Amino acid sequence: MLFNSLPFFVFLPLVILIYYLLPYKTRWIFLLFTGYIFYGYLHPQFLILLFLSTFVDYLFALKIYNAKGVFEKRTYLAISLVFNISLLFIFKYLSMFLPDADPMLVNIKKATEPVKGMIMDAIYFSIPIGISFYTFQSLSYTFDVYFKKIEPQTNFARYATFVAYFPQLVAGPIERYKHLSSQLFANHKPVYANFSKGFRLLLMGFFLKMCIADNCGTYTNLIFENYKNYNGISILTGIIFFGLQIYTDFAGYTLIALGSSICMGIELMDNFRTPYLSTSISNFWKRWHISLTTWFKDYLYIPLGGNKVSIPRWIFNILLVFLISGFWHGANYTFIIWGAIHAFAYLAEHFTKPYINLSESKHKILRIAGGIKTFAIVSLAWVFFRAETITDANDIIYMVFNSTTSGNLQIDFKIWIVLAVFVVFDAMLLNNRIDNFLVTKSKIFRWSIYFLLLACILMFSATVKHPFVYFQF
Amino acid sequence: MKANNIIIKITTIAVFAVALNYFYTFTFWRKELKNEAPDLLKLQRIADSCDILYFGESSNISYNPLTDTIKTSISGLIAEKLDGKILGDITHEAYHAGIYLPLIKRISNKNKVKSIIVTLNLRTLGPPCVHSGLESALQKQALYYRNLPPLIIHLWAALNNYDNQTEYERDYNLWKQWANDKLEVKGIDFNYLTVKQWCEAEKFRLPDGTENMEKRTLADHYVKAYGFVLNERNVRINDLDNIVNHCKNKKIKLFFNLLAENTQYADSLAGHTLVELMRYNRDYLMKKYNNMYVTTIDNLEKVEGKDYTDQNWTTEHYNYKGRNAIAANVALIVNSKVH
Repeated sequence: MLFNSLPFFVFLPLVILIYYLLPYKTRWIFLLFTGYIFYGYLHPQFLILLFLSTFVDYLFALKIYNAKGVFEKRTYLAISLVFNISLLFIFKYLSMFLPDADPMLVNIKKATEPVKGMIMDAIYFSIPIGISFYTFQSLSYTFDVYFKKIEPQTNFARYATFVAYFPQLVAGPIERYKHLSSQLFANHKPVYANFSKGFRLLLMGFFLKMCIADNCGTYTNLIFENYKNYNGISILTGIIFFGLQIYTDFAGYTLIALGSSICMGIELMDNFRTPYLSTSISNFWKRWHISLTTWFKDYLYIPLGGNKVSIPRWIFNILLVFLISGFWHGANYTFIIWGAIHAFAYLAEHFTKPYINLSESKHKILRIAGGIKTFAIVSLAWVFFRAETITDANDIIYMVFNSTTSGNLQIDFKIWIVLAVFVVFDAMLLNNRIDNFLVTKSKIFRWSIYFLLLACILMFSATVKHPFVYFQF
Repeated sequence: MKANNIIIKITTIAVFAVALNYFYTFTFWRKELKNEAPDLLKLQRIADSCDILYFGESSNISYNPLTDTIKTSISGLIAEKLDGKILGDITHEAYHAGIYLPLIKRISNKNKVKSIIVTLNLRTLGPPCVHSGLESALQKQALYYRNLPPLIIHLWAALNNYDNQTEYERDYNLWKQWANDKLEVKGIDFNYLTVKQWCEAEKFRLPDGTENMEKRTLADHYVKAYGFVLNERNVRINDLDNIVNHCKNKKIKLFFNLLAENTQYADSLAGHTLVELMRYNRDYLMKKYNNMYVTTIDNLEKVEGKDYTDQNWTTEHYNYKGRNAIAANVALIVNSKVH
């Protein structure tokens, strides 16, 4: 089910209502049930993968916990890892190494031999939604059991509830068992403050997704698919618009997830903290997709030795983390280049810090320069993230400075209105979140903001279909 | 106290939304309609200036650019032949009954229009058109034709609250139908059980035994376009039924203009069985809608094969001779029924 769809507008209030009507001891069963409905609504055939991933991790976490020796423990961890990585490899990356498939032939197969056809479809065209998210969430649980940070859940259904909790199931935040499980099984009372918090988050989330991301997406598609027909300024605008699209799309999704969840008294972790106001790349990664960044930090970077190793080894660690993070996004070399750009920028910043340190400068103007520099690097990397091929990405960057065509991107004035609202908001919020920010303001101010966001959503939301960008991961 | 507070807040938001709807109607709505659904604006413009409205697709306005000196549309030719009645047209490529329906619903009792001619294109009732890649865009337009507050329509469009499957998904539905729908009609001997089997097994060999791939492709296309059996489960039949019922309720005189199809080519390329099936489907429509007191004008075989402008594809695009033949037949019947 998509957040920005009418069924969700019926689903969410209904779930919240039933959740509070049920005795608290049975609520988690209901959440498990709703998670599977939410996930299976569009592609029921992928429920089996979700179930399989959940079951294997549940089983091996128990085996790890009960293992007698280190070798046995490691073997079980390896099996769990291999299983999860195989799942990701088959359904996300295998097509990269196979000859191209004709979508029509896959459809014919589906029509005549449904099982074979569905498998081909899943490998080539319909990547199971959210597979990277829930496998990472499941893996974090196995690692936590292995590192003895938590005790394993002995009840399979309870563990399945943790994996399939619908607000964060398909695009995160990638939650940790310790943080989420204590809330999932707790007795939450219907508190007015939670509903009002949820309403604010939902409002802002829908504004970001429907007004900013989807509107920017229309222009981004125009530029990235026809960049040869546009002049340099238009291409540059398209690149900046993509940066805005991906941020507001993902941040919007996260806010909707957080808002939906808090209405049931369950607080999910933050995923974004105004990342485009970062003054350095290292700062950017503390504010962008926080749940994934911390995942890589906890389960890859630190086990590799983190920064408590020799400099060459540390450089290797940084490169590896960024490259894997790029590859996590999808089966395309463009994502690896994206990761590499961030890695090199991160390392360059680190080694030049003693000489040039814009982000921690006492002068505001230098900090602003640091912000512009960071935004430029991030935008450059986005070109590789969005382009179909590395050649396309190179051409797009080249054309920004060398385009000889006069094609101009015509932007509707409505877009400027919503962008102005967004920029003012982002600047106002800084490190704060909308719900926490508004709670300190006067009633008149709060309601003005509600009306402004509501008016923007109702009048200026894009009417072109743009799926959530991170759904493909 | 809390409950009162919530009620006040919800009411305030509702009042705000209503006020916003008015604001939107007078500011941004017309521009949005111009972009998304210009035919509704045209309908509103002409519904009071004509007696009869013709709803057509590309067949209405296509012509042979090489041979046609007269390029008048079918509706234009009908208008010339009508006795003292003014005929207007709503024409849009790929439109079908499912899109005409919400547009027809926008004709009000107060409008001058009291009769409508709806193009009935046999091909649009078949799986390739039902599952066409154009369908999502058409369904979005149909949403804009619905009689709802502008802000609701805008929000519905933003939430993609219409049939907006991807081309890939539609293609799958199409193959599912070709692979599974049985070709069973009393009195017709099909050599194959399904369209898929028909296309796979039939090699469309030429008399000398060789295979002409160009002709085979075209023959394959004919089988896929016309190889379906009409019945009550067909979604377009459901749309047509809804048009009939709506017109009955609103006392609008309804004509179905069943367009000509290239039966001669169908015969020579895919064999007589296909033509028999096309005729069966024609008879099904004629019988069904005449029984529902709708004048259904049969033009299925009114145009000769050479008078189709697309000789290498299945379309209902005719040269002047073909358009005029259809227009004359329609005008004759409309003149006898509308006074």
